[in-house]
Amino acid sequence: MKTFRISNGMFIAMIVNLIFVKAIGVTQGELARVIGSDMWIATFIGMLQGIVIMYITYLALRKTPDRDFISLGSAMLGKWFAALVALVIFVFYLAAFGPIMITYVYHLQEYFLPEAPISLFIIASLLVGALGCYYGLEVIARIALVGLLFIFFLNGLIIIGSTHEFDMRNLLPVLESGLPQTAAASLHFDADWAMATMLAALIYPHVKDVKKYGAKLGIIGIVTSGLIIVIWAILEGAVLSGEVTAQYTLSCMKLARNAHIGNFLQRYEMIMIALYSISALFEVMFCVYATSVCASRVFALKSNKPMIIPVCLILGAFGYWVVDDHFWALKYLEFYWPRVALPIAFGLPVLLLLLRLLFGKKLQKAKPAT
Amino acid sequence: MRTFLLILLFSSMLLLESSCVGLRQINELAIVTAVGIDTGNKPGTVKLSAQIIRPADARGQTGAPAGGTGQPIYSISAEGNTIFDAIRNLGRFSSRRVYWAHNFMIVLSESYARQGIRDMVDFFTRNHELRMNTWVAVTSDKPDELISTITGIEVVPGEAVDKLFRNNQVVGLAPGSNMMNLEEALLSTSAQPVVARLQLQPRGISNKKPEEHGSLKQVELAGAAVFREDKMIGWLTPKEARAALFFLEKLESGIEVINCPNNENRRLTLEFKNAHMSVKSFYENEKPRFQIRLKSAADIVESGCNVPVEQLRDAADASLEKLMKQRIENVLDKAQKQHHSDFLKLGDIFRNKYPQEWKRVGKDWNQIFAEAKFEIETNVDVKSAVVKAAGDGIK
Amino acid sequence: MSSIQELLKGAFKPSVKENAAVLDQILGNSADVQKRDFLLCGKAGSPGLLCFMDGLADTTLVEAIVRALVVTGSQLNREPAELATAESIRTSLLFNATVKDCPNVREGINGILSGDTLVVVEGLDQALLVSTRGWKDRGVEEPSSENNVRGPRDGFMESIRTNTAHVRRRIKDPMLRFESMVIGTRSQTDVNIAYISDLVKEGLVDEVKSRLNRIKIDSVMESGYIEELIEDAPLSMFNTVQSTERPDKVASALLEGRVAIFIDNTPVVLIVPTFFWQYIQAPDDYYNRYWVGTFFRIVRYFAFLISLMLPSVYVMLVSFHHEMIPTSLALTIASGREVVPFPVLLEALIMELAFELMREAGLRMPKPIGQAVSIVGSLIIGQAAVQAGLVSPFMVIIVAITGISSFAIPSYSSSLAIRMFRFPLMIASGFLGLLGFSTMFFALLLHALSIRSFGESYLAPASPYRPTDQRDTMLRLPMWMLDERPGFAQDVDRMGDNQMPATPLQKGE
Repeated sequence: MKTFRISNGMFIAMIVNLIFVKAIGVTQGELARVIGSDMWIATFIGMLQGIVIMYITYLALRKTPDRDFISLGSAMLGKWFAALVALVIFVFYLAAFGPIMITYVYHLQEYFLPEAPISLFIIASLLVGALGCYYGLEVIARIALVGLLFIFFLNGLIIIGSTHEFDMRNLLPVLESGLPQTAAASLHFDADWAMATMLAALIYPHVKDVKKYGAKLGIIGIVTSGLIIVIWAILEGAVLSGEVTAQYTLSCMKLARNAHIGNFLQRYEMIMIALYSISALFEVMFCVYATSVCASRVFALKSNKPMIIPVCLILGAFGYWVVDDHFWALKYLEFYWPRVALPIAFGLPVLLLLLRLLFGKKLQKAKPAT
Repeated sequence: MRTFLLILLFSSMLLLESSCVGLRQINELAIVTAVGIDTGNKPGTVKLSAQIIRPADARGQTGAPAGGTGQPIYSISAEGNTIFDAIRNLGRFSSRRVYWAHNFMIVLSESYARQGIRDMVDFFTRNHELRMNTWVAVTSDKPDELISTITGIEVVPGEAVDKLFRNNQVVGLAPGSNMMNLEEALLSTSAQPVVARLQLQPRGISNKKPEEHGSLKQVELAGAAVFREDKMIGWLTPKEARAALFFLEKLESGIEVINCPNNENRRLTLEFKNAHMSVKSFYENEKPRFQIRLKSAADIVESGCNVPVEQLRDAADASLEKLMKQRIENVLDKAQKQHHSDFLKLGDIFRNKYPQEWKRVGKDWNQIFAEAKFEIETNVDVKSAVVKAAGDGIK
Repeated sequence: MSSIQELLKGAFKPSVKENAAVLDQILGNSADVQKRDFLLCGKAGSPGLLCFMDGLADTTLVEAIVRALVVTGSQLNREPAELATAESIRTSLLFNATVKDCPNVREGINGILSGDTLVVVEGLDQALLVSTRGWKDRGVEEPSSENNVRGPRDGFMESIRTNTAHVRRRIKDPMLRFESMVIGTRSQTDVNIAYISDLVKEGLVDEVKSRLNRIKIDSVMESGYIEELIEDAPLSMFNTVQSTERPDKVASALLEGRVAIFIDNTPVVLIVPTFFWQYIQAPDDYYNRYWVGTFFRIVRYFAFLISLMLPSVYVMLVSFHHEMIPTSLALTIASGREVVPFPVLLEALIMELAFELMREAGLRMPKPIGQAVSIVGSLIIGQAAVQAGLVSPFMVIIVAITGISSFAIPSYSSSLAIRMFRFPLMIASGFLGLLGFSTMFFALLLHALSIRSFGESYLAPASPYRPTDQRDTMLRLPMWMLDERPGFAQDVDRMGDNQMPATPLQKGE
């Protein structure tokens, strides 16, 4: 498992990709429904919370940079605990597949291929996800870098296309609903950051210079994605206004539909979605990877490859169940998913940190993980 | 490895099996370039008419000969209980699938607009095919007549009206209302929608019968319709629409005609430029007050006064200031007194400055707005006589 | 057969007759085997025999051997008894440049088959192998598949020695090494591995050698045989071994710390490791000024994107996402397609196929006929097919632009790969629209990212991202800024500091 190292840039890119996809559209829509055009402030506040969780995750792994959460668990409390941790992370990513599919399927289906059946999108994305997993983590990490590049292009395109309609008056008044409510709304974001911290929990041991930079890498990742997302939050607020943003499941698509360059290029959201799909498919792929790794750890298998196909079947079925009914999908997104994501994303690092304080000595005796 | 590849192959075959959904070649579509919406003959119904392009006729011969009829457009109409119902009814006789994505404009009849446009806006924003910068206009004529009229130099009439809207800044007599800002204004609690007005006017001169001046009807863009919530409540004249544009679109230039200071029968034409309006709001004694300042430069573009330009400069300044102030007063008066509708987005300004107060008064802003006080100040400087020397003694 | 194998293992005998019998048995009576007998120093007591291949050996050199052995020996009044060993004949009588002692038969036969001349003399237990290789070569010409405007015009040819000499002339560095090996049990093809020993990536030469040693094949006709037997991704459509006919490309690759594999009888030399982006770079980029080089390199990147994606984007737009086409363009496309009976995907596939047909036909025909083929083809497709309403004019334009773009990619072999990659992309987007396009593109990207070429990532330095190597990837920065070799070379510095030229100050200023 340790024959390769992920470079620092790739690690940051993975975090950005994982957060970006959902945060620019779906989450902004949720925020707009609560606090109107102050989405960008909530994004900032959410970013700070993300940094805190990321730091806790790092603290839990600090002393043993060559272990992930699962092997850390096995070193402290034995195999059954490792299996439990793996199961929890498995459940987390299984649940995360819901919102991921919601963003991916709805972007492509509703706006481009309304007549295509949902199963088609799920099968296609899982196919490439499985392919990526088969190639291994290194390729997954590399494609994240490409995804990051495309995200930069995408942001450039949306800025060029939207400045014409930019209306500062829509963003005002700042903090219309007051700071407490804005802060409360920013909790919607935490479910997005949660995916990043869980990624760190699995990937940290593979990162190249983790000893040198410590928690910085994860935090840079969070800040980068936060800044990239804030651009969208501000544009959506200013171009669309909070009221319009609140009307749509995918407010970023609404913004993309509004964007135009000159008179000739009236619509170019297809280019944007083509760029965006790299990150979206990366998310699917990472979800397959994470669940297959966890599943293989639960069954104590050496490689995650045998688990890819069973995991894909489970994810596919779950994804279909979530996405099929739009009302249920939105309810899942706004109600059930944060209630699964937040306890795990906050709880697991804190739990492991506490256990580490208790079993610190035992851990030092344990041999380095292979 | 091999099993994995097999599974990959097998599932891609499955994908291909279930594919081709939504596949439709571009030449199998009836591309709509303008839509008219009117009330139907029966109460509660909608009459929808569509201007559809015949690509082969609209573009001349690009490939193999494709039976030209000489008519670039094909206009049809259908009725239904809702807009979507009417569109489905269009499908009963349209040989190709009616395709809305390239629609340039939506024309509403006055009677339809007075009934309420909420479902129209909802339909056109809910559908993913439609672009958001489709122009929206209200007409007092029949929309189906308007959209089937060949107008402008363009081959496709929809495109002609599209360009009319785009070049609107030059004339500045109607708001450039598109779906994007209409939806925004409709959803906003602090602003009301304004929509441009289109009408048919006999302006075109027939080549065959030039002596019948203006025998051909042309589509003209002038004036606006004012809404309260989603219902149309009245018209703005072109002049009033221009004043409204100062508030809505930061209008910068336009033409005004004033009388010569020395001779009431002669005219002086001024073009104002770099106009800038600033609006400040105050909240005193539970009543909003607005301070409106308009600052502008102007050029003399046509003069029949027979007096050296130098002498009439100050007089021109003053009378243009007066004229503009009057224009603004007129439109404010119309919004405040006649229509009780804040279509000038003054509510936005108030809300941005007094968010806390807005929470209390926002709900019945239209009433409160009716009691608002205004201070209008205009300041115009005639700065240039264009290419003619602005010196002493030059007429 | 086994008897011949045993004979090959044996050593030369002192008797000329016995040796002649052995040669006869091994070589049979092939028409091109020439034998000539002579008397050493003209003395009847010591007969000798020359054996060489007609056509491979240069007869003037063979004559020189005979003259040396017979005429010079007798003029110097040497006695054959004084020349009792092969060494003494070599050192005191022969004046050919390369002569070596040859104890066993296998070596002698191999020498004969390579164009050398075998000399056996009565009474010597060793034979002499004199290098007389010299056959009719094609002259040095400009490589036909890799032209450039500014830069050297010479290209490799079919003789391996000439080819290595081309490179040696460019790099007069003692550290430039050629290691020789022979591949092919029957063809016995010479293969040379070239590298600069203090620059080459550590372990790379051993890796190349071990991969070459693995090969067990009867013959090697062209470098393509070797390429397919050593590449990293044998199932992939990407080619992970660069091939070139240009000595300057090989020389610069060696200077970057890479390894070149020369193969006899082919003008194509292989270079490893290979990065994908190299296929888009041309030597002209470096020979012209950097502004020009950068501009044309970017043009080529666009050509790459167009040839990969344009047809699929067009198919996708016209059959699924009509709302994305600007209205006036949509009308033009629609009017052109008004009478076309095929769906766009089929139309595109037909046209692409027609294009490939024309290309292939033009390639195989003799040159004058090849031109005729392309004229007829373009007339039929461009004019008549559109007039007949079989294809739309827009599709003709798309296919033509795609074709031209694929020709703009300097490396012929990789432009073929890209040409093939556009078919899965086109079919996927024709069936599933944006979903198919993005999924297939993602899968291709994944695949490209997973490939390695001799331990280096195929898409480096873009992924993994190497900031210092970016100076010569998308852009070609000025020569005075390219002061480092790619990261994998042993010694990275290639230039002194402050190489940017400046106008010297005039006196008195």
